Amino acid sequence: MRVEYQYTYAATPEELWLLLNDENVLQRRLPGCKRLVPVGEGKYAAELGLDVGPVKGLFNGEVELVDPRPPQEYRLHVKGSGKPGEIDADAHIRLERKDGKTVLTCTADAHVTGIMASVGQRIMGGVAKLLMGQFFKGVDQELKRARS
Amino acid sequence: MASVFGTAIKRREDPRLITGNGRYTDDVQLPGMLYAAILRSPHAHARIRGINVEKAKRHPGVVAVFTGRDVAGKVAPIPTAWLPPDSNIKTPAHPALAVDSVRYVGDGVAMVVAESRYVARDALELIEVDYEVLPAVVDPEKAMEKGAPAVHEEVPDNVAFHWQAGSDPASAFQDAEVVVRHRFRQQRLIPNAMEPRSAVAQYNAGSGEMTVWVTSQNPHIHRFLLSNILGIPEHKLRIVAVDVGGGFGSKIPCYADEALVALAAKELGRPVKWTEDRRENFLATSHGRDEVIYAELAGKRDGTMLGLRIRMVANMGAYLSTAAPGVPTILFGLITVGPYRIPRAHTEVYGVFTNTTPTDAYRGAGRPEATYVIERMTDLFAREIGMDVVEVRKKNLIPAEEFPYTTALGLQYDSGNYHGALQKALEMVHYEEFRKEQERLRTQGRYIGLGWSTYVEICGLGPSQIAGAVGFQGGLWESAAVRVHPGGKVTVFTGASPHGQGEETTFAQIVADRFGIPVEDVEVVHGDTDRIPMGWGTYGSRATPVGGSALAVAADRILEKARKIAAHMLEVSEEDVEFADGKFQVKGVPTRQVTFQNVVLQAHLAWNLPAGVEPGLEAQAFYDPVNFCYPFGAHACVVEVDVETGQIKVLRYVAVDDCGPVINPMIVEGQVHGGIVQGMGQALWEGAVYDEQGQLVTGSFMDYAMPKARFFPSFETAHTVTPAPHNPLGVKGIGETGTIAATPAVVNAVVDALAPFGVADLEMPLTPEKIWKITHGRDA
Repeated sequence: MRVEYQYTYAATPEELWLLLNDENVLQRRLPGCKRLVPVGEGKYAAELGLDVGPVKGLFNGEVELVDPRPPQEYRLHVKGSGKPGEIDADAHIRLERKDGKTVLTCTADAHVTGIMASVGQRIMGGVAKLLMGQFFKGVDQELKRARS
Repeated sequence: MASVFGTAIKRREDPRLITGNGRYTDDVQLPGMLYAAILRSPHAHARIRGINVEKAKRHPGVVAVFTGRDVAGKVAPIPTAWLPPDSNIKTPAHPALAVDSVRYVGDGVAMVVAESRYVARDALELIEVDYEVLPAVVDPEKAMEKGAPAVHEEVPDNVAFHWQAGSDPASAFQDAEVVVRHRFRQQRLIPNAMEPRSAVAQYNAGSGEMTVWVTSQNPHIHRFLLSNILGIPEHKLRIVAVDVGGGFGSKIPCYADEALVALAAKELGRPVKWTEDRRENFLATSHGRDEVIYAELAGKRDGTMLGLRIRMVANMGAYLSTAAPGVPTILFGLITVGPYRIPRAHTEVYGVFTNTTPTDAYRGAGRPEATYVIERMTDLFAREIGMDVVEVRKKNLIPAEEFPYTTALGLQYDSGNYHGALQKALEMVHYEEFRKEQERLRTQGRYIGLGWSTYVEICGLGPSQIAGAVGFQGGLWESAAVRVHPGGKVTVFTGASPHGQGEETTFAQIVADRFGIPVEDVEVVHGDTDRIPMGWGTYGSRATPVGGSALAVAADRILEKARKIAAHMLEVSEEDVEFADGKFQVKGVPTRQVTFQNVVLQAHLAWNLPAGVEPGLEAQAFYDPVNFCYPFGAHACVVEVDVETGQIKVLRYVAVDDCGPVINPMIVEGQVHGGIVQGMGQALWEGAVYDEQGQLVTGSFMDYAMPKARFFPSFETAHTVTPAPHNPLGVKGIGETGTIAATPAVVNAVVDALAPFGVADLEMPLTPEKIWKITHGRDA
């Protein structure tokens, strides 16, 4: 499954980069995040409580930032498992300067197992977009909050 | 008294089944019963690095947890019972629970046994399995490519078997004026019986007796296999499958789950039940079809077919299920020429392992695929030479006077009147008028199409000698016992195992007809190895032609003895006694007669029996047919395609079938209807889909489209009657004909409707999206 999401921020890539890499921001804005503990360089143990369609329950897993090229791009490797199955996602996040703003493009490849695959595959793309939307909009709110 | 043979009496099993009084496996409740749940692999292919069951074991209510290592040595690997000869078949061990590797999503990894079903299911989530995920392969052709992941290390090329039949038709291709070549995809189907699989086991440690209630189409085959798997001798093992809610082939196999439940019952000393849920059924009950077929048909411009070459790659899934290798080989490969006089033919089949749920028989099993290919090829051939599809069929159908007819693939079609069935269907359809109407509507931008399917089926499995020759690890005869009670009522015991086909009714009709007694006086017992004689069960449309024939033979043995006693009672010689309408009478003297019931009573009282005649009135028969049965027919489907939306509407469906004499027209009609619906299901809606990682993405009814009654018009059915020459009833099978005939009829109809769009073939299922893309000029 491949999902793409785009969001435009009224900020510079540098400002945005700082927020996206701020542990506290991640903790506050990752959908359903109950716990985010650093376990190494750019690596976190995470616990997410999700409830979107078939993606329901507590997910335990790991989030890893890979190949960062500040402030242009990085990859996020997310692995987690919960009652409805396992998720293994590789997201590529790119920040581009455009008309004084920053366009963030996230392209993710995700593999799921369990009930998410057998029952939920058809709507997983929608679920992923919804969750991404929550996160990136959340980051936008953080941006506005930091400025106010 | 009117004969009950041929009468449309209502199915006697229905009141019981529709009022909740059935005795399905899951209805079994035993004191102290525990419940099992099976943890299934979420990965299509992975190495198991470790399993931690400690948390699950400590969960309140959990009695035991078993892993692959716990059961190894106690439960033997699940065997394959059909080994086609000269096919270099590989049967890698199929452990009841995975030990080192899992090979498909749904492969069993561990079993929890608990005080309740809910606790067992909850505890599954507490089992921690450390998987090392490995690359998976799901497509059978990709599995044969170099470098593809090996499903089993010991079979590096993934080829489970390679089988051939017929002889090289090269000469036919040299003489050909036309050669049509095509690749067909038979999509994977999920049988979806209404009742999911279930098993209950009870072990008596005192006597060493094990009873297993199980959803089975063939209790004695289950006993045969489970006896070996569990190491319990057959005389201590009882299999019960009285009411079974549909099988369609998916309840032929012996599954690991059934053996595991038995092991748990023995080890824990308490009865254990396991019932799968619908999602589990999608993943862990055998699937059907899933083949790629390359066909080449050689012919002449005048429409004569000369030769056929078929190469099939069959997806067997991760393991070879019980009867699986017989499906693409014997049941497909020997009947690819269909009802046509094709002098030269060759079939080649590769059975291939992939990281998917094992496939096995599914209604029609092999024969629908063969019929689909030859019926589609016939239409493609007709198109190529510019001949009408009906004319091509008429030219090549085997003429009635040529039976018995031996095909290029070695089968002897025993009887048939193929042109007769086609003629009847043509009259029902009003073919000429249809073509005019089609032309007229096309000018209005409406697209209707008519598709034909003239089919022959191989069923009534089958002569045991041939079963042996084609590698089936069992016999295919059938048994019957007839017990006449002193009061004249009759109990019949059959080795066939009805699970929806209505034989409690039709078998009673056979016996009542022979004895001239009311059908209500006959009870039919089946599905319990402690009550019935050894038999081979119900599949391959065999119950009536083989099991019914056994019953007829046993009933005749009763009559033979009764006639002796009647003659003695009437004080005449046996030759002077005739039997009709339930009465023995002295020939030509209607006043001197005794009723069947009277004779029966005397047989039991035994106060005055003729010399040498034993008391009692029971008979048994073991009937081994000398040939298969070959039902045939002509089906036609009329569709309208909405080219704006891609929706296909079935306007008419005409089915002319020949299954020999019809015992119960209502039941035959029901079988034909159900078959057509399943065949159309494949053509239009159904399809199991795996993603590249081997996840079944059509794992529920949300994504796997099952046909609904409202999708269909009222079917128009009719029959011709050509009795099977070699069994005492002349009957053939009718359980699979609809599924065999309908799929190509529907696809031929849609292709015909879309001819103005240049469509020559369409890959099933014909979803609106696919059709829309064609009618809107997009790549499909």
